[in-house]
Amino acid sequence: MAYLKGGIHQNTLSGSGQGTLSDYEDMVDENTILVQRTLRSGQSIRYGGNVVILGDVNPGAEVTATGNIIVMGALRGVVHAGANGDEKAVIMAFRLQPTQLRIANHITRPPDNEKVDPELPELARIRDGVVTIEAFQTGGERQGKPV
Amino acid sequence: MGEIIVITSGKGGVGKTTTTANIGTGLAAMGHKVALVDTDIGLRNLDVVLGLENRIVYDLVDVTSGNCRLRQALIRDKKLEGLHLLPAAQTKDKTAINPEQMRQLCSDLKKEFDYIIIDCPAGIEQGFRNAIAGAEKAIVVTTPEVSAVRDADRIIGLLEAVELREPKLIINRIRPKMVRQGDMMSIEDIIDILAVDLLGVIPEDEMIVITTNRGESVVLDQNSRSGQAYRNIVRRLTGEEVPVLNFDENEGFFKKLKKMIGIK
Ligand SMILES: Nc1ncnc2c1ncn2[C@@H]1O[C@H](COP(=O)(O)OP(=O)(O)OP(=O)(O)O)[C@@H](O)[C@H]1O
Ligand SMILES: [Mg+2]
Repeated sequence: MAYLKGGIHQNTLSGSGQGTLSDYEDMVDENTILVQRTLRSGQSIRYGGNVVILGDVNPGAEVTATGNIIVMGALRGVVHAGANGDEKAVIMAFRLQPTQLRIANHITRPPDNEKVDPELPELARIRDGVVTIEAFQTGGERQGKPV
Repeated sequence: MGEIIVITSGKGGVGKTTTTANIGTGLAAMGHKVALVDTDIGLRNLDVVLGLENRIVYDLVDVTSGNCRLRQALIRDKKLEGLHLLPAAQTKDKTAINPEQMRQLCSDLKKEFDYIIIDCPAGIEQGFRNAIAGAEKAIVVTTPEVSAVRDADRIIGLLEAVELREPKLIINRIRPKMVRQGDMMSIEDIIDILAVDLLGVIPEDEMIVITTNRGESVVLDQNSRSGQAYRNIVRRLTGEEVPVLNFDENEGFFKKLKKMIGIK
């Protein structure tokens, strides 16, 4: 797992856990960065892979990833998952209150005049050609495969 | 050795200059030696707000470009002995000084004053970069408006990037009644987004306009709520623990089904 904190510096992938990787090849994706801070207005992350953010994505901040985007906090800005056209990419956030969500070439926004204040983690993904949002559950049905 | 604090906001007109004047006056009234530095070159205001405009001979640019000594440019306040102003130049622009000159100036002031308070211009360009260059701490001022909070967030990100970490927040012009009615962002809403420590909350108060127009500071007015709020902020700055006045809220929160609208 590459690693990013403060600025943008990435370490190369470490070799640990290779055995596990080959056993579950289609379910494991090692190309992921961890962003250990809140992205504020005007700040952005672009990454060829998955992005996990340990913090909020504030209004005016942007995250673009070719893979999935997980926000362990409030997602209020604009995020684009599957930016190279991957329709299986998903977006998950503890508080999904985005300005705009983009998955592959679908662009969506919340309805006007509706203040959303989710209390549970939610997941956005493309289903039957439209971006849908559902409560995020672990353990049940698999929530969209990684790239 | 003094403490160097920059007052900044991103968005214009939210109360940076008012806050600089009141914090400086409040600290000086407590007996501290204070220097206020106006870095809003070309749009200087702090001298007017303090009622010192007619005493200006030299300014910030005269000091940084070596036209005069620092001591010559510092203006003593009319009433408070410990309060001094280094005015901005009015006939030049933001490029008349650079961050390195500001750092030098701040370290010179630090030797003589307990507090150096820097009034930052609006924006995120050179004026902002000059203002924060020599600062050790930052106070971000916002109003309860979405655009001001957005700019404050941007500023906090920029401050963090230059290691001015953990800025303190002042929320200005709050109207408790509007907050109660759900027509204005609440303190909680703002803190939720900005995630920084709250230094204080100043209510909307016409006494600010009245005192400012007289070249006085509301912090010395014992009867006004904004004066009280500024006095609390000054005490917190000096390390005292003073509870933040909070307005009761009963926003009936209701949950709605979330839908998304396709744009493309
Ligand atoms: N709490 C308040 N209640 C009423 N009026 C206020 C309050 N705070 C500030 N004001 C008024 O708002 C105006 C703008 O304030 P101020 O000049 O301090 O803002 P600023 O952030 O320094 O602006 P600029 O970005 O132009 O430098 C002034 O006229 C001031 O008197
Ligand atoms: Mg000002």
